Amino acid sequence: MSRLSPRKSFFLLSIVVVIIIVGMHLSAGNTYKLTPLESTIRDVLSPVQRVVTVVGVKISDFVTFPVRLYKVSEHNRQLEQQVVELEEKLSRYNEIRAENIRLKEQLAFKTSLVGQMKTESAEVVGREADNWFGIAIINKGSASGIRQDMAVITPAGLVGRVTNVTDHTAEVLLITDPRSGVGCLVQENRAPGIVEGVAGGRGVVNMVHISSDLTPKKGNRIVTSGYGSVFPKGIPVGTVQGTRREESGMFKTAVLETFVDFNRLEEVLVITSTNL
Amino acid sequence: MQPLFFLLLVLVTLILQTTALDYMAIYGVKPDLVLILAILNGFLRGTREGAFLGFSAGILQDLVSGGYFGLNALTKMVAGYLAGFGKDRLYRDNRVIAAGLTWVCTVWSQLVFYILLLLVNVSVPVVKALTYVILPTAFYNALVVLVIYAYYYHFCRGGPPGKGEYFNP
Repeated sequence: MSRLSPRKSFFLLSIVVVIIIVGMHLSAGNTYKLTPLESTIRDVLSPVQRVVTVVGVKISDFVTFPVRLYKVSEHNRQLEQQVVELEEKLSRYNEIRAENIRLKEQLAFKTSLVGQMKTESAEVVGREADNWFGIAIINKGSASGIRQDMAVITPAGLVGRVTNVTDHTAEVLLITDPRSGVGCLVQENRAPGIVEGVAGGRGVVNMVHISSDLTPKKGNRIVTSGYGSVFPKGIPVGTVQGTRREESGMFKTAVLETFVDFNRLEEVLVITSTNL
Repeated sequence: MQPLFFLLLVLVTLILQTTALDYMAIYGVKPDLVLILAILNGFLRGTREGAFLGFSAGILQDLVSGGYFGLNALTKMVAGYLAGFGKDRLYRDNRVIAAGLTWVCTVWSQLVFYILLLLVNVSVPVVKALTYVILPTAFYNALVVLVIYAYYYHFCRGGPPGKGEYFNP
């Protein structure tokens, strides 16, 4: 660079910057395809990332061990109590589930409950590098039957959807990403709305465009509505923390707390098929 | 430090950034180590090399992360260039000054990031971008520089640091 005069190098730099900005703008809607170079890099890096992630988990577990130990006995008592309550609920649930399957078969109704889907489990090997987006890289790809636009969940709730697939990795767009939008319902009063991410790192999620007369209350549960073909119906997303009026005045926005802890995302399930 | 070695360091940092660094996140916000490298590099080498190596580091990150191509290249170039202004104007042996510079450069580069996001049709409300991303990242980056600056400085100049130097603010 030193051979160029400052003026020339500034000129060259401006050209590069302009080319990149124009290129970025034109390719903005097209990031769901990786170039061969990018997908090769990703396939090569994923085992390395996995090793570093596992080491990170181990170190984090080791460091936080005394703190966790301190609370564990009290927590244990609570959990034992819960187990008893939940076991009773579970037996009722199994009854209802069996009945549900039976009735659906009679009606030839396509099933949409999470417990009745085929899933492929995968480990999260990497996350986004910045605090803006919400992305996770998982260690299963097209070789394991994973395709673009499959829904990704954990037993706790909705995680996101698959956007890019390489042979042995897949990129998951989390629901906390500002580019994500998921059609959802308030479970209690069936009010529809769209769950949008705000800023990836902080894991803040809003449900927008809820009609004012169906404003959800604090603590209401939000589940996916199944509109559009990506997310099956009835996957839990989060609970309502509070609502406020949107700028247009016609709708309400609800701030949600997600069921999934996006800061500790280790294993996920990819829904590969919704047919029983 | 040779530029090639710098890029190798960026690559290693990138792998850490996307994996183990999640366990350092505070309320989901983590420091941007590659950005810190670009800023410190600019601070020690000046605007020209700061911008160039910031740009290279960003391109590398764009290749690895596979998002919008050029997004990180441009923002890291801005950071490296801005930090380069501090080279002859700011006192280099003080880590608090380095941390302050990191804060300022992070805020500016993240603002550029925000503007570029608008360009690719990703909209984040301004207030939320500031309070959830830009300012927390800037503070966290500055904190990290406060801790690692002495190591990095001596690593770049070569030779071990003097006794007790790391704990002298």
